[in-house]
Amino acid sequence: MASGKLGIGVDVGSTTTKAVLIDHTGSILASHLMNTGAAAEAAALKCIDEICKMAKITPNDATTIGTGYGRALVESAFKRVTEITCHSVGVHHLNPDIRLLIDVGGQDSKVIRIGPKGRPEDFEINDKCSAGTGRFLEVMARVLEVTMDELGPLALKSDSPCDISSTCTVFAESEVIGRIGAGDAPHDIAAGIHRSMASKIATLSKRVGVVQPIGVTGGVAQNPAFKHYISRQLDSELWVPDIPQLTGALGAAVLALKDPS
Amino acid sequence: MTEEKAYRRLESSKELQQISFQHMLEGHHASEEGRLAWVTSGFPVEIPVAMDVGVVYPEQYGAVVGANKVGPMVCGFAEDIGYSSELCSYARASIGSILKPSESPLEGLPKPQALLACNNICGSVLKWYDAVSELTEAPVFLLDTPALDVEQQPHHIEYVRHGIDNLIEFLSTTLGSTLTDERLIETAKLSSEAITLWQKSLKACKAKPTPLNCADRFLTMAPVVSSRGKQYCVDFYKTLYEEVESRVKEGIGAIRDEKVRLLWDNIPPWFQIFRFFNGMAQRGVAFPADTYTHAWSGAVEADDPYTSVATVYSNSYLNKGLEAKADKMEHLIKDYDLDGFIMFSVRSCKRYSLGQMVTREIVTERTGVPGTIIEGDMVDSRLFNEAQIGTRVDALLEMFV
Amino acid sequence: MSYGEIIENSAQRLQDLTRKGSMVVGYLYPHTPIELLMAHGLTPSLIRVNPSVVAGFEDSLQTFSCAFTRNIFSQRANGNLLSLSGVLFPGNTCDALQNVADVWRFRFPGDKILRVTYPATALTEHAVDFLANEFRFLSDNIAKMFDRQISATELADAASIVNDFREAMQFLYAARVYDSNAITYSELVSLLRKFLTAPDRSVVDEIAERFREIRQVLEKNGHLNSADILKDGLLIGNLEKVVTPPSNEFPRIVVVGGMVEPQAIASIVNNLDGVSDNIIALDLLSFGFKTVFTPKTLIPPANKGTKPIGAAPEPSYEGPFKAMARAVLQAPLEPTQEGLTTRTEFLKQLLTKIGVQGLVVCEQSFCDPDEFEAPSLEKAAEKAGIPSLRFPIDPELSDRGRLEGRLQTFLETIGEV
Repeated sequence: MASGKLGIGVDVGSTTTKAVLIDHTGSILASHLMNTGAAAEAAALKCIDEICKMAKITPNDATTIGTGYGRALVESAFKRVTEITCHSVGVHHLNPDIRLLIDVGGQDSKVIRIGPKGRPEDFEINDKCSAGTGRFLEVMARVLEVTMDELGPLALKSDSPCDISSTCTVFAESEVIGRIGAGDAPHDIAAGIHRSMASKIATLSKRVGVVQPIGVTGGVAQNPAFKHYISRQLDSELWVPDIPQLTGALGAAVLALKDPS
Repeated sequence: MTEEKAYRRLESSKELQQISFQHMLEGHHASEEGRLAWVTSGFPVEIPVAMDVGVVYPEQYGAVVGANKVGPMVCGFAEDIGYSSELCSYARASIGSILKPSESPLEGLPKPQALLACNNICGSVLKWYDAVSELTEAPVFLLDTPALDVEQQPHHIEYVRHGIDNLIEFLSTTLGSTLTDERLIETAKLSSEAITLWQKSLKACKAKPTPLNCADRFLTMAPVVSSRGKQYCVDFYKTLYEEVESRVKEGIGAIRDEKVRLLWDNIPPWFQIFRFFNGMAQRGVAFPADTYTHAWSGAVEADDPYTSVATVYSNSYLNKGLEAKADKMEHLIKDYDLDGFIMFSVRSCKRYSLGQMVTREIVTERTGVPGTIIEGDMVDSRLFNEAQIGTRVDALLEMFV
Repeated sequence: MSYGEIIENSAQRLQDLTRKGSMVVGYLYPHTPIELLMAHGLTPSLIRVNPSVVAGFEDSLQTFSCAFTRNIFSQRANGNLLSLSGVLFPGNTCDALQNVADVWRFRFPGDKILRVTYPATALTEHAVDFLANEFRFLSDNIAKMFDRQISATELADAASIVNDFREAMQFLYAARVYDSNAITYSELVSLLRKFLTAPDRSVVDEIAERFREIRQVLEKNGHLNSADILKDGLLIGNLEKVVTPPSNEFPRIVVVGGMVEPQAIASIVNNLDGVSDNIIALDLLSFGFKTVFTPKTLIPPANKGTKPIGAAPEPSYEGPFKAMARAVLQAPLEPTQEGLTTRTEFLKQLLTKIGVQGLVVCEQSFCDPDEFEAPSLEKAAEKAGIPSLRFPIDPELSDRGRLEGRLQTFLETIGEV
């Protein structure tokens, strides 16, 4: 069993729910990731349960902070903090040099400028429409009849990406269908999709001001084509943590640890 | 149809390049001399021109950005600094080109010393020019011509008339230029002459087949927007009218095989202008009239030019209500013997586009001809869904077979 | 009271008035000469957006008609505004409202539609003349359309009701800057709504009661003088003499934007974890601050004998239409008018003087004036060293979860978690 103060962070996102347990030194003792599904509250409970089992503690042994879209649903949390602050803190914990963070989740993409103390200084979130989010890629993968895991590698095969110009997911979908009908190669279409998405994120980045070094988190950070195009658009190298989906939960855990209560 | 193209190129359009080159040259020259104004398309340009102020048109520049198919990129520069992608794409294009001239067509417009906005075409011009002023530090003058609900009332004329006095004062204090009545009358005469010739060419399109198609008019209207009050502008419209007249005399149509005659409503998609209209031409569809090029109709009268400016420019097409728009469409359809109409719902332009859904019903009810609405934008090709537009246009054309 | 209940209450009050025989004319623009409508024996009522509206505009307007106009139009299409006897639209303010008024006329030909066209220039004598003439036409049109003549006595009464309302509200607005616990923002804007829904003496009395109570509170905690100075400064747009309030333990913000519903803002803020609307030091919204900080309409009292003791010497009066036009044009500038620099300079001065930590810039989707102005407002805040947040808020609050997240994150960045 762990000793000293323990922190739990639970990040209830639109697609996945994540939980992280850390000890007083900030080392990760346990983590868990699962699909949120329809019952976000249950997913949060289940995630906490899993990490507690792994570390052989009970939820009451630790201080919990909830974050993410469903942060209000984390029953045991003594406090709720938005995912933007948590991502900043989490990334800062892993790599204190990072000054700009691009986090692309299922229905949100965010660009956060991180201050020297690891707190957000400025941020931008995509507007209501899903262009530039994980959902956009999901829709496009379905149209191209490939899995999400296959989409990025497919796009990297292209030398001449198609022009996919529509900003709106629904329009882009019919544009992609049009491209397929016109006989364009699937890898060129896939590359066009990633480039279009990267340009949307680049605009958000320019709005908060592009500062180096840049980190990328969220599920889409594992997509190699997305990384390729965003790094070209911003003319910059990108740092990606080992498990890029966990930084929000990690940040929440770090904040829980720091809380005087 | 074998080798022949569906669309016949206009000989006089070859002169356009020279005119636009000269126009840009004049603009750069004026800018270097510290007397260049950026003006909105509906501005009473006779006054600055008579005061020897150079003028260039950001709206026309927006069309150039669109035609060069770089709308999304140049508009994107403006979005990068916080201008919403929901805003007018002419505005975004010009703001974008100020931010990154080296990456924009023609390296942007020459630097202005004054910004002249007249809200007779829309309310956004004020906001747009304010934004441009922040970036260029050129002062803005707003000529306020409140939209007309009913007929223009005496207090409205009076108010706009005072605005014109303020304009003259603004130009003389900002740019140090002066105005004489002789110069104004001379400029107004040249301006009216060009407009009258232009209208004759437009009216000639009542002929079957029509001597000018939509794209012809959209391109040849450039000088009447940008070079009103100049002799070379008058000369151009003489040449154009001669060609139009001879086409009519010889029964030569703008398109080879005119089967269907349609009315076009609103600004065109500049990035698709040839592709769209020539594609229609291949299917035998001609556009003998449109509401856009018919908007430049008022000629300033020389006997009382100041009051005439106040009335003519307040009564522009877009400064009047929906009733006036429906009337115009109805008359164009009847006078030009048109079979139907296509309304382009332009997301950038609320003043032109909001109301199209009811106007469509009214016009069909009054004329008995069908119409369809297609959606998109004039510069921002990201909003143009070709597949959806194709379906709507096809459905309309199927009604004529 | 929840936002939903507040809306229901307003609707109920209007229905009661109609049942009792009042003729209610709805209006959409904050700078409407409501005293003129009252002088014709009408009840002017500000038409509000309704968050529970789902559809209705689709066969008449494109989606790029602004969120505000889509919502109001949908309410009418769904039959929600039937208790109104007429609707007054503004002209020459923005393209959406300009065209939607026309569409409305075609779609609902039985409705009585009035329109006042506003000058887009800042205050000049020519603009005053123009608007005075517009008000005169409005008066003639009301007389014709509703068969209600204008009455000089009622005009004087109405002007005094409106002036008293403004004066008391102006103080309450200023008071909150120094003591945001003295009266909650929710209460402030609900008093405002009550008056704008159906203005009459009894609402003004209620507001005046709070006015007296809060003056006492501020007198006790020593802020009364500062609040009075701020109120005067806000009224003339010059904050030189303003005293910066003491700092708070929580970050405070200013909310700026156009025709955004103040109560929606209050409702979102109060829904945040561990936050209440006392974080809002001041709003600069059209239906809030800009409605309240209109100077008095100088119309001579009908009965000269009732001059209050100690009143200022009688100002020289001009005609009532001119007086109303002048008051309207002296209200804080809307983004639909010229004067961007005046607005940004004022904002910079305000943010520095009243010691807040953040600026929230509201924008409704497809609202040209808001969206065009937002980058300039953000720039102004940056120059004043104040962080800002773009806040895309539509009447339906369909994106509520994300809006709350956005705001909460912003508060986290400007304060300490």
